[in-house]
Amino acid sequence: MMTKLLRVRELPILVALLILLLLTGILNPAFRTGDGLTAILIESALIGFLAVGQTNLIIMRHIDLSVSSTAGLVSFLVGSYSMNHGGVTGGVALLIAIGVGATVGIVNGALVAYLGLPSLVVTIATLYIVRGIFNYLAAGITVTADQLPPYFSWIGSGEVLGVPDLFVFAAAAAAIMTLVLRYTRWGRDLYAIGSNPPAARRVGIPVAHREFGAFVLNGSIAGVAGLMLLSRFSFADATAGLGIELYVVAACVIGGVAIAGGVGTPAGALIGAVLLQTIAFALGALGVSQFWQQAVAGALLVAAIAFDRIVAMRSTHRAMRLVEVPV
Amino acid sequence: MSTHLLVIEGAYKRFGGVQALNGAALTVDRGEIVGLLGENGAGKSTLVKTLAGLHALDEGTVDLDGQPFHQGNPRSARDQGIAIIYQEPSLFPDLTLAENVYVGQQPKSGGRVDWSTMVTRTAELFAGLGIDLDPRRQARGLSIADQQMVEIVKALSVEAKLIIMDEPSAALSAAEVERLLAVARQLRDQGRGVIYISHRLDEVFELCDSVTIMRDGATVASAHVADVDNAQIVRWMVGREITDMFPKVAAEIGEVVLDVKGLSSRGEFHDITFTVRRGEIVALAGLVGSGRSEVVRTIFGIDGFDTGTITLEGRSLARHTPAQAMAAGIALVPEDRRLQGLFMPSSIAHNTAITVLGRLRRGLLLRTSSERKVATDWAGRLQLKYASIDDPVERLSGGNQQKVVLSKWLATDPTLLIVDEPTRGIDVGTKAEVHRLLSEQAARGTAVLMVSSDLPEVLGMADRVLVMREGRLVEEIPRAEATQERVMTAAAGAAA
Repeated sequence: MMTKLLRVRELPILVALLILLLLTGILNPAFRTGDGLTAILIESALIGFLAVGQTNLIIMRHIDLSVSSTAGLVSFLVGSYSMNHGGVTGGVALLIAIGVGATVGIVNGALVAYLGLPSLVVTIATLYIVRGIFNYLAAGITVTADQLPPYFSWIGSGEVLGVPDLFVFAAAAAAIMTLVLRYTRWGRDLYAIGSNPPAARRVGIPVAHREFGAFVLNGSIAGVAGLMLLSRFSFADATAGLGIELYVVAACVIGGVAIAGGVGTPAGALIGAVLLQTIAFALGALGVSQFWQQAVAGALLVAAIAFDRIVAMRSTHRAMRLVEVPV
Repeated sequence: MSTHLLVIEGAYKRFGGVQALNGAALTVDRGEIVGLLGENGAGKSTLVKTLAGLHALDEGTVDLDGQPFHQGNPRSARDQGIAIIYQEPSLFPDLTLAENVYVGQQPKSGGRVDWSTMVTRTAELFAGLGIDLDPRRQARGLSIADQQMVEIVKALSVEAKLIIMDEPSAALSAAEVERLLAVARQLRDQGRGVIYISHRLDEVFELCDSVTIMRDGATVASAHVADVDNAQIVRWMVGREITDMFPKVAAEIGEVVLDVKGLSSRGEFHDITFTVRRGEIVALAGLVGSGRSEVVRTIFGIDGFDTGTITLEGRSLARHTPAQAMAAGIALVPEDRRLQGLFMPSSIAHNTAITVLGRLRRGLLLRTSSERKVATDWAGRLQLKYASIDDPVERLSGGNQQKVVLSKWLATDPTLLIVDEPTRGIDVGTKAEVHRLLSEQAARGTAVLMVSSDLPEVLGMADRVLVMREGRLVEEIPRAEATQERVMTAAAGAAA
């Protein structure tokens, strides 16, 4: 049991997170009140939620950078609908979120899965296309808190047992998706595809359908993330969501989702998101400039993939030794 | 019910301009092992891929177990009872062995994947074949032989009726081949049909009940193994008589070119001492994993060494890079041509001339016309079969790819030519040609060092045989005294 626990990929990152929290608490007494923790969880909820959908794609050796534009566009569309109609019901908000998100996902998925285009290029393109449409629609318009129904800010600032609503939501999504990946054939197919794509085809896994499905799901998740964005800030304009796509990918990688595919869980990616945010807070609490925080986040990213590489080299080396024992 | 398990008749398949199958036929009975033989490009792979469901025939009938076989879908092929063991098995390195066995068909309970049942069943199947592996370990790092065993277990997990083994022994050591043959017999004795594809005729005679021989996409003969001999099979395969499998040209053996003294690398090999002379072919024999490839990699400067000396024509080599080894006159034709020997999507011309680009340069720019000329010259000398010199090498058959690797290194005009398993996975016709080339190269004064697991090749080609075991050089046998028994005994040690 103990050795099994030690093999869990997410363990080192979780340990790193706890150590960091402890150190920050010791060095900065103000951090100990719990408010610091709450702030970290609120900030990491959005990135963590997006990382859940992104994990499915990275497991299959794909990537979706368009999520920031999709989430931003949804937050603005729902906000401006509320502004123009004097409010918006939860149902309509969800309809807009999933409708817009799934549409972007369908475009990405069709181009990647059925036309065989590289996902990196396709989603950079849709990142710009969606952002362009967004800029056109949102030119000079700002949606503010008083134009939104109050439930947005209730959700955005609410707590369950001291844990922010938004984080509870992201954690639930991560938990469900982790279980889906572990206990359904659909989920196992994703790991098989990322581990060895030609072999997956050979055993009859419908690779293109799985890729398409994961892109549509990720688009929908990005749409719903737009609602989280709106709840969090009670504000929307043309800059909403700008630049967060790389944080999402970084959270996945730091959380143990290998960019080479085949391994990792949404739960790990969520922990990765929390760690990224914790570092920003810890450095802030220690009085380090915000510019350095980005540099540290970058260093952490390199450390995460280097760690992975070293572990992989060790196990391959050991395997080679095993083979060399004469039979 | 007839005893025929599989009946293929009048199979035709065309890919673009190539008629891959041209009237192929194949019959396999229940409880029978059929050896499917033919040169590279004879159509065996196309036939196998048809049965794998990877493509459908243009014409012809396939009946499996008395039912028409539904073609063109890998999943459906598996559901109809066909399983394939490829030469290079394709497991999922990140997944556990249990999941590799059950991928796409994981057992479920209450709608969710049942991991414990999966592990238990895999363990039972492993035990049935005497495989000592933990079903919960990752597939990453497994030896090829063990990977194949996992693939066989996968076939058993779906109760496959027909199991196709596509050159499974090519990368295995002697002991591993024995285990594989034993498992194949076990499958036959359970009443399954087995198709066994191999270039090693001795294995085919040892294992198979009957043979079917293909040439140019058509089936040229089917016979019981008891009714045919080696020479007859080779005649059917190549359509002509191969008079000499090992055309050894008498060469004048000159001064020492390579002098290796007390070479050691911790954990790889220990205290290796030998020489190779001008005009001489020296074979490095031994089991897979005995350290032969490591020694030649070290001589070529890919890996470093701890103690000892390497001297080439009086010049000492230490801490050298492959580029320096090439400059000193060494060429290494690597074992794995796909991974280490060729740029698969690049043209034949580009692949051939890459080693001599420095000579083809004018100013800063390359002249592609001279690149083509060099490649065309070599293609002619090696009797390469190709459509255009600008075609990507991935379109060539395995034997012809190996000729491109050879010509790329011969183009450097090396003083020491090292070849690692030069004829692995190559058909008999091309094999004889590769042997002729090596022999001619030696006659021209090149020192040749050949790593080979193919005993007839070692005995037929080498002037001296060096045998390695567990990282040590255990015996040196001159040509006149070299026999299969003596080499094998030295390679396997006292235990064998």
